[in-house]
Amino acid sequence: MASVVTGAQNKRPNPNSTSAAATREGDQLIITPLGAGNEVGRSCVYMSYKGKTVLFDCGIHPAYSGVAALPYFDEIDPSTIDVLLITHFHLDHAASLPYFLEKTNFRGRVFMTHSTKAIYRLLLSDYVKVSKVSVEDMLYDENDIVRSMDKIEVIDFHQTLEVNGIRFWCYTAGHVLGAAMFMVDIAGVRVLYTGDYSREEDRHLRAAEVPQFTPDICIIESTYGVQLHQPRPVREKRFTDVIHSTISQGGRVLIPAFALGRAQELLLILDEYWENHPELHNIPIYYASPLAKRCMAVYQTYINAMNDRIRTQFANSNPFDFKHISPLKSIENFDDVGPSVVMASPSGLQSGLSRQLFDKWCADKKNACVIPGYVVEGTLAKTIINEPKEVTLMNGLVAPLNMQVHYISFSAHADCAQTCGFLKELMPPHIVLVHGEANEMGRLKQKLVSQFADSNTKLYTPKNCQSVTMHFSSEKMAKVIGKLAEKVPETGESVSGLLVKKGFTYQIMAPDDLRVFSQLSTANVTQRITVPYTGAFEVIKYRLKQIYESVESPPVEETEVPTLIVHERVTIRHESDTYVVMQWSADPISDMVSDSVVAMILNIGREGPKVTPIEEKTQEEMERMARKVVHSLMVSLFGDAKFGEDGRLVITVDADVARLDIKSGEVECENQGLRERIKTAFGRMQGAIRPIPKP
Amino acid sequence: MGTSVQVTPLSGVYGENPLCYLVAIDGFNLLMDCGWNDLFDPSLLQPLSRVAKSIDAVLISHPDILHLGALPYARKHFGLSAPVYATEPVYRLGLLTMYDHYLSRRQISDFDMFTLDDIDVAFQNVIRLKYSQNYHLSENGEGIVIAPHVAGHLLGGTIWKITKDGEDVVYAVDFNHRKERHLNGTVLESFVRPAVLITDAYNALNNQVYKRQRDQEFIDAILRVLRADGTVLLPVDTAGRVLELILILEQYWAQQHLSFPIFFLTNVASSTVEYVKSFLEWMSDSIAKSFEHTRDNAFLLKYVTLIINKSDLENYAGVPKVVLTSMASLEVGFSHDIFVELATDAKNIVLFTERGQFGTLARMLQVDPPPKAVKVTMSKRVPLVGDELKAYEEEQEKIKKEEAVKKASIVKVEEVRATSSHLSESTKGDSMVIDPASATASPKASSHFRGQMDILIDGFTPPSTSVAPMFPFFENTAEWDDFGEVINPDDYVIQEEDSNHMVGNGKSLDVKPDEASVHLLLDSTPSKVVSHELTVQVKCALLYMDFEGRSDGRSVKSIISHVAPLKLVLVHGSAEATEHLKMHCAKHVCPHVYAPQIEETIDVTSDLCAYKVQLSEKLMSNVLFRKMVENEISWMDSVAEKTNEKVFTLLPPPSAPPTHKSVLVGDLKLADFKQYLSTKGVQVEFAGGALKCGEHITVRKISDSSQKGGTGPQQIVIEGPLCEDYYKIRGHLYSQFYLL
Repeated sequence: MASVVTGAQNKRPNPNSTSAAATREGDQLIITPLGAGNEVGRSCVYMSYKGKTVLFDCGIHPAYSGVAALPYFDEIDPSTIDVLLITHFHLDHAASLPYFLEKTNFRGRVFMTHSTKAIYRLLLSDYVKVSKVSVEDMLYDENDIVRSMDKIEVIDFHQTLEVNGIRFWCYTAGHVLGAAMFMVDIAGVRVLYTGDYSREEDRHLRAAEVPQFTPDICIIESTYGVQLHQPRPVREKRFTDVIHSTISQGGRVLIPAFALGRAQELLLILDEYWENHPELHNIPIYYASPLAKRCMAVYQTYINAMNDRIRTQFANSNPFDFKHISPLKSIENFDDVGPSVVMASPSGLQSGLSRQLFDKWCADKKNACVIPGYVVEGTLAKTIINEPKEVTLMNGLVAPLNMQVHYISFSAHADCAQTCGFLKELMPPHIVLVHGEANEMGRLKQKLVSQFADSNTKLYTPKNCQSVTMHFSSEKMAKVIGKLAEKVPETGESVSGLLVKKGFTYQIMAPDDLRVFSQLSTANVTQRITVPYTGAFEVIKYRLKQIYESVESPPVEETEVPTLIVHERVTIRHESDTYVVMQWSADPISDMVSDSVVAMILNIGREGPKVTPIEEKTQEEMERMARKVVHSLMVSLFGDAKFGEDGRLVITVDADVARLDIKSGEVECENQGLRERIKTAFGRMQGAIRPIPKP
Repeated sequence: MGTSVQVTPLSGVYGENPLCYLVAIDGFNLLMDCGWNDLFDPSLLQPLSRVAKSIDAVLISHPDILHLGALPYARKHFGLSAPVYATEPVYRLGLLTMYDHYLSRRQISDFDMFTLDDIDVAFQNVIRLKYSQNYHLSENGEGIVIAPHVAGHLLGGTIWKITKDGEDVVYAVDFNHRKERHLNGTVLESFVRPAVLITDAYNALNNQVYKRQRDQEFIDAILRVLRADGTVLLPVDTAGRVLELILILEQYWAQQHLSFPIFFLTNVASSTVEYVKSFLEWMSDSIAKSFEHTRDNAFLLKYVTLIINKSDLENYAGVPKVVLTSMASLEVGFSHDIFVELATDAKNIVLFTERGQFGTLARMLQVDPPPKAVKVTMSKRVPLVGDELKAYEEEQEKIKKEEAVKKASIVKVEEVRATSSHLSESTKGDSMVIDPASATASPKASSHFRGQMDILIDGFTPPSTSVAPMFPFFENTAEWDDFGEVINPDDYVIQEEDSNHMVGNGKSLDVKPDEASVHLLLDSTPSKVVSHELTVQVKCALLYMDFEGRSDGRSVKSIISHVAPLKLVLVHGSAEATEHLKMHCAKHVCPHVYAPQIEETIDVTSDLCAYKVQLSEKLMSNVLFRKMVENEISWMDSVAEKTNEKVFTLLPPPSAPPTHKSVLVGDLKLADFKQYLSTKGVQVEFAGGALKCGEHITVRKISDSSQKGGTGPQQIVIEGPLCEDYYKIRGHLYSQFYLL
């Protein structure tokens, strides 16, 4: 009977069997950087566990262009990714998103914080516009960005969301407005991806939080390796001193900075410095970024994402409404007559206004260029930090580099001390370093190895497309609830019920309780079918009794019309002379029983009136019949078979003799093989000559 | 057994009194809301006073008086010291609402239930959460997770989900399932089968008209009056529903380029809108979207003028205008005064957008037919002159002497305490806070402290509308410091800045200078309240339109039945509404519906049995899941093995398990099935509640009334004569289910 049930089950479509199989094998957690592995730029980290897949960030490499700037998306199948999480709006973390959303078969969901989303759009539109000048092969256009906006969903800090069994939430990361660190929880395994973070509070941003739960894996940036930042006041002083002295010597100061993020911090510093130094009021500060101007509304709105200091100032006046800084549209509008301070993008001096100004000013030794943040390998800004004698201008000419170059880092990335402190507080068992150049990363790894020498911490520094595999023992816990849980079982007792899995939680319950504890419900399908039949009802009963062991006929008083109940499943009612009504509650066995009954009734109908009820045979006659049938069948199977003196059937095959007790079915035989064969044969015969027993 | 849950209403059942309920979860006492009414009637808080000290946490759901009004009072007088949890907007707008009420009261009476400082103190330890943030409580609340979810109704409005051991208690009052201009609809419907749902019956008997139609009627009513040279008075709340009204008006004015002035007048109007502008992430998707695309903040108001002073209206005396002003009760504040001015002119209209609280002037005016005339008390705070001033000064002198005697002993101790606490608080925070801030703040704080200790008699409160006391009034809170020195008004200028610095610490808020009123209140000029009664002929039109932004009766019922809690507790609503909803839910939702009386503790501990087991890898490798909506489901046979004291491990059974009764899982909707069949080319139609398929086959559901919404399986009958169609349709029917 059990085989019947499974047989019926297999007939049903089972679309999920493959994924269920995958789930079982999915105890290994795979992390693969598709970008930012042993490099800085195009952050993109792929993670997969238990058949769930998460992608962190989707950036481009600022030093490359076109497809070469993308992360290695061809390593993965974008359609399998469930969730894509963007930590902040910087190009190396978000700029390949429109491409990924619009040009691949990615079907998952994308999340970022409110302010990131608001700035993302402006920033990428600007990026598209700027790079159109210099690059031919555009990855996407303005329309792609607009379309991508509709697909991006927002998440607030600390808000917990669940998609497809993946739970995730984010923490403040410092770094830039709206920057987040994502914590992802899949089946109880927690992964923290820091993105770019800073543990230092500055003029407008909060420091990165330390999550209250220890993650099992921490994917952490290593941009600054083992370097240590100078204290913030020292850096600010150097910065303002350089600018002040350059200006007082009649020079010009160029600050190549990315339009958004750190630039706002620098402007806050400059505006405050000018405010405190009235003698500088006649020196103009220009901020050449229409983009930043457009983003100001975002900065003004999401003050709740900034620190308390800025919120306090905001109550009085808008701190981003700079008194001493004026916007500059383009180099044509720039009246370059005397000392001035210009902040312009891009930060790498690849092209654009900052490069135009650099070309113009680099030959004069009175001028200064202050590089205020991390510069990516392969850009001009990186080159001039080493103060070469000559530089190549945009027009291809070579010019001497006479201007002073200062590198004062304000970039809000964690330094070694911050990273070590952060990891020490969290103590994650696995640490994956990304977003750092190979050398810096290697040094940081050494440092961390010695720091965590006495703990079990494992460190990984995968290269791009190099997978890190970790195993997590999956201990699946289930909760037995409802009626099934009324009695707590003892060892060896069976527990049977519905196992319901939602996300990664399991519940076991009785079928009756399904509706109580889930949105699912159960159903009973009652089937009622009318079968034409004109013969005598007794005939049906007789025939049924031949097939089924239990055919009850309750008294007519109770049922009004003559009724038969087969195996307590199928009820047959003789409601009229022309038809009978069958009723049963649908399940595979009853369906089968009913089918046989229907077939039988139809057969009786076909055989017509020549069949008449016969008297019931006595038990004894039945037995005798059975003996005869078994005997003749055995003879046909084994040849020599006769009844012995004790009533047992003696079967002789070659030299082996077997004795079969027809009543009990026991076989006595020295030959193991023969005994089994006879037993099987007898079992089948019994099934054929007797009615089907009640289960 | 499940987690023990007890609910005890402290106020706000079988009526419209403020909301305040005690929910004890495994002995951890959560106070759900801490409301008061617009009249600040302390008798309402009696039940709270008895339990306030035992409360472990306070969860606030909406930023209005009915949900948080009693916080400062309870903190000061009942010793309620538990941490308060609320969303950022509830915190901020709630604070502004309290300020507004305090200032309105203070202007016309010697209101001394609480002071501005009490408000600040009460709001200092509010822990601010984000929507869907799972906050794990610690210490004796270990294991309890609270999470606010979108409720609609007011900005930041919250449905609280409290989870312990996988069982949810959901507290959802005043929710709105409809999406509005500035708010998303509630997510209540996404909670399925919580162990306990606590909800209100407030709107159970009300049904709303369509939103668009209602908005149009609203605009029409306003325009009719404006075009007839009348003034429209909209008594609103301080920072709640008014935001929606402002957006409606803004949008319409922008569309039609109307030039009638609109004023939003509250004591805190400008700061309200300033803060609201920075709460975009808490608002509706459409507002967020428009900001992302155009960076236009919806609350950058072009047509609505924000004023904090009634005198600003004087220039517009004869001009048709719309005035939105706080104190919807019309009992005190600007709305009260403006009502008195407008009521006598038939051109004008007072348009109520919410039902007035019981016993208030607004409620009186909302009855049908409205009263012809109402008695009102006009009160005004005036500076003391002549003899009164002299008497006051003498009094002050006397007190000063007394103080001088006292100060040596008590005061010093208190000051030390206050100062040290201030210092410790300020040093905790930003280093930018300058020390003098706390230094100047502390004498003030301690003087407040002492003043209240001396003067206030617990439980004594003058009737709020009463005539002022006849003895000379003196401002006990701000006239002198601990050393009997009269405070130089200039000190207050610094004070203002200080309070701004304190914001930096995140522990105190700025009273965004509502200069006029603050001056009036903090001015050291001695003043008194004079009042006189007068009878106002109500000639102006009165109109009530429902802009309360709550789900109406029908939706409430359907939402509750969708949520289908195992146990349901009904609160807040008139007796009829509560009874009605109780009957309805008992019949259609779940058998356990409770509507407790005040201070009646009901036990809603779920009678659920549960134990935990570990699923062995061997067992799981034999389980084939079938996917259903969000769940995966399978039949499982196993044998338990005790691994240790508490945990069992389930292993695969050693022998073939006995067959089990097969289970059909699925939810059949006949209408869907009809659709499905017709796509399969079967002729299908509804006939008498049953689905007639093809020629002869009928499929129907037996709706057993006791089953509806209950927990039993669905009963489906398929019948017909023996024919091929029968088996075909049966096959289709089976395909709607999973067989386990």
